[in-house]
Amino acid sequence: MIELQGLTKTYAGKNVVEDISLRVESGEFGVLIGPSGCGKSTTLRMINQLIPLSRGRILLGDEDVSRLKPEQLRRRMGYAIQSIGLFPHWTVAENIAVVPNLLKWPRARVDARIDELMNLFHLEAGEYRDKYPHQLSGGQAQRVGVARALAADPEVLLMDEPFGAVDPLTREVLQNEMLRVHEQTRKTIVFVTHDMDEALKLASKVAILNQGRLVQYDRPIELLVDPADGFVSDFIGKADLGLKLLSRRWVDQYCRPPCLERDSGAGRHSWEVDADGRPLALHGGRLSDDGEARTAVNGEWIATPEMTMKEALSRMVWFRVMVLPVIDQAGKLIGEVTMEGVMGRQP
Amino acid sequence: MTASSDRAGRLVANRVLLTLWVAALLASALLPFAAMAPNRLVSGEAIKLIVALTTWQSAGLALLALLLALAALSRPLSATQGLRLTLVVAPLTLLLTLYALGDYAGRALAEASPAARVSQGAAFWVLVFCTLLMIVDAFQRLRAPLWVGGAYGLALVAAIAGLFASGQFNALSILNEYFNIQDAFADQLLTHLRLVGLALAPALAIGLPLGLLAHRRPALRGSLFGTLNFFQTIPSIALFALLVAPLSALGDSFPLLRELGVKGIGAAPAIIALIMYSLLPVVRNTHAGFAGVAPATLEAARGMGMTRRQVLWRVEIPLALPVILSGLRIVTVQAIGLTVVAALIGAGGLGAFVFQGLGQYAIDLVLLGAVPTIALAVVADFLLQILVAISRPAGGR
Ligand SMILES: Nc1ncnc2c1ncn2[C@@H]1O[C@H](COP(=O)(O)OP(=O)(O)OP(=O)(O)O)[C@@H](O)[C@H]1O
Ligand SMILES: [Mg+2]
Repeated sequence: MIELQGLTKTYAGKNVVEDISLRVESGEFGVLIGPSGCGKSTTLRMINQLIPLSRGRILLGDEDVSRLKPEQLRRRMGYAIQSIGLFPHWTVAENIAVVPNLLKWPRARVDARIDELMNLFHLEAGEYRDKYPHQLSGGQAQRVGVARALAADPEVLLMDEPFGAVDPLTREVLQNEMLRVHEQTRKTIVFVTHDMDEALKLASKVAILNQGRLVQYDRPIELLVDPADGFVSDFIGKADLGLKLLSRRWVDQYCRPPCLERDSGAGRHSWEVDADGRPLALHGGRLSDDGEARTAVNGEWIATPEMTMKEALSRMVWFRVMVLPVIDQAGKLIGEVTMEGVMGRQP
Repeated sequence: MTASSDRAGRLVANRVLLTLWVAALLASALLPFAAMAPNRLVSGEAIKLIVALTTWQSAGLALLALLLALAALSRPLSATQGLRLTLVVAPLTLLLTLYALGDYAGRALAEASPAARVSQGAAFWVLVFCTLLMIVDAFQRLRAPLWVGGAYGLALVAAIAGLFASGQFNALSILNEYFNIQDAFADQLLTHLRLVGLALAPALAIGLPLGLLAHRRPALRGSLFGTLNFFQTIPSIALFALLVAPLSALGDSFPLLRELGVKGIGAAPAIIALIMYSLLPVVRNTHAGFAGVAPATLEAARGMGMTRRQVLWRVEIPLALPVILSGLRIVTVQAIGLTVVAALIGAGGLGAFVFQGLGQYAIDLVLLGAVPTIALAVVADFLLQILVAISRPAGGR
């Protein structure tokens, strides 16, 4: 867990970061986003004390980081930057091993860790272990940079536009890898970007900064549905952003238990299932509010857990229903996704 | 470019080699190869190459010249073959030239008075320099690894040393001069090296930290470089002379310092002047080396949790080292040369022979000081070049 309390940075009388308070819970993926010069990097670099803060407090767990020696603190926090900054005189393996070596891990443990991380980032250890940074492609170098940041199993990972300098295709790949790595390691991450798509794709929570101030700190869907002010809606208000977001969400994230009781209240719907638990029909739940209409389930207006929410939404719209049955591979009804769910909840 | 001029241009593969070849040929035809004098102090009668050489030697030299011309052309040999041929033929030409001079001296003196002297002429020097340049040029074009050049150079030096050792040159005037001052020569050579070492060690001890300081404190940079630049603009003789008065005053007023060797003349002012000259390149290169380390690398190093010390020793110094050592290479070569001038204020060194020779109008004595100085500088330059190459990070930059 990392918490900023009233964080402020003043350069020559001007607050470039002003009174920022936010909290990234353990295992969360927090993203800082905002226009160029709004203070994202400054905020990040205050967290690991590369820049001294002017006012405020930073808590790592329940420790005030100002009580820690900067070097000790930084060894507990991974740090990856856009320009990567691999050490040109060291091999890939030596680069990854920097922090473990600073922490004086035994040789064998360092070696095992190098292999483990290269594996995690799909870098063939046999081929790349002894390569020098200048022999790597941009994407590979960036992977090594992130692997290096993760090497000593830090409590927190700080990343400053780590994928800013690679081409869109590679960026997409790296983002997916980042999601997977986050899934696997459940690290607490503070990630800086100026790319809204990237923020929406990766973040558990997004902090929108403007001119050094925190404008809104929320889950991505809430930013879309409930922007704090005109700046936020302008900033995220690109036409298909909602759909983009849903195309990166999966049905199982929105799935809730199915309603099987009939007559459970006005305007409610219910499912009719056969002996094997397969959905036969939907009562109610239609766009037009004739609550009792029975709609037979056919092979097309169903959802599966691994379907994107965008796809599920488009089926609802197409079949004019407010709810879709979610079925497993055997065809059994395991849950439902609803129109309100899309709008209201965000896993 | 039209097709025909292109073809004409392509006839010559190696213009540098051709130019050197023509220069050597013209010098051999027009300038004296050797000089024959009745005694040490008068300048002698000029002897042309064609006169000095035996028929066989001339024929051999002509054959080697033909081969070199062949190496310079684009056909029938490929460019690489031409360069390889150059690397075989040019040193043979050099050795034959040296051998022929010694041989001529021996033959000429056999029938002359004991006081008679044979010394080398302009054509000899031109031949030596042209063949050496051909070799250097060929190596640069081949991009051969440094150690190959080193081994080759060593073999060439060994061959020439062999000629010396065999007594081939003993008849030459310069060797006569050498035999006269043999003991002094060894002394002065050592003195020369000691002066260089005594100047370089403090120059590094002061210059390296100053270079780091210039890097860390941009505010100091201007005045620091200004001061060091100023030293550099003072002509060396003037600087040596300027130091004489204050140092003799110091030495006179503090007997302890005087005992330590602080005197108006001698080694002290020479070393101080050499240090002053060496500081600028050391400081400048140290600063450039540190400034060349990418900011992202430094940010990463700090962000990873290295202490300032660790950043300095593990990241900055290894990455700056090649540039710093290039600075050392510059000042070493420079100090070897400048130490010659230091002889003027009584510091000794090989310069002593140069000025003694100039005073007596004995050119051989001048050469006896100058040629070893050049050789020292070349060797030092080469060794430091190897050091720079080794220090370059394996990953390149
Ligand atoms: N050392 C400094 N002295 C004075 N002002 C600074 C300094 N460092 C940063 N700033 C200012 O602070 C502001 C925030 O900079 P910061 O690097 O945090 O922006 P950013 O949000 O990361 O922008 P970008 O997206 O372009 O990277 C900028 O206006 C910048 O000019
Ligand atoms: Mg930034």
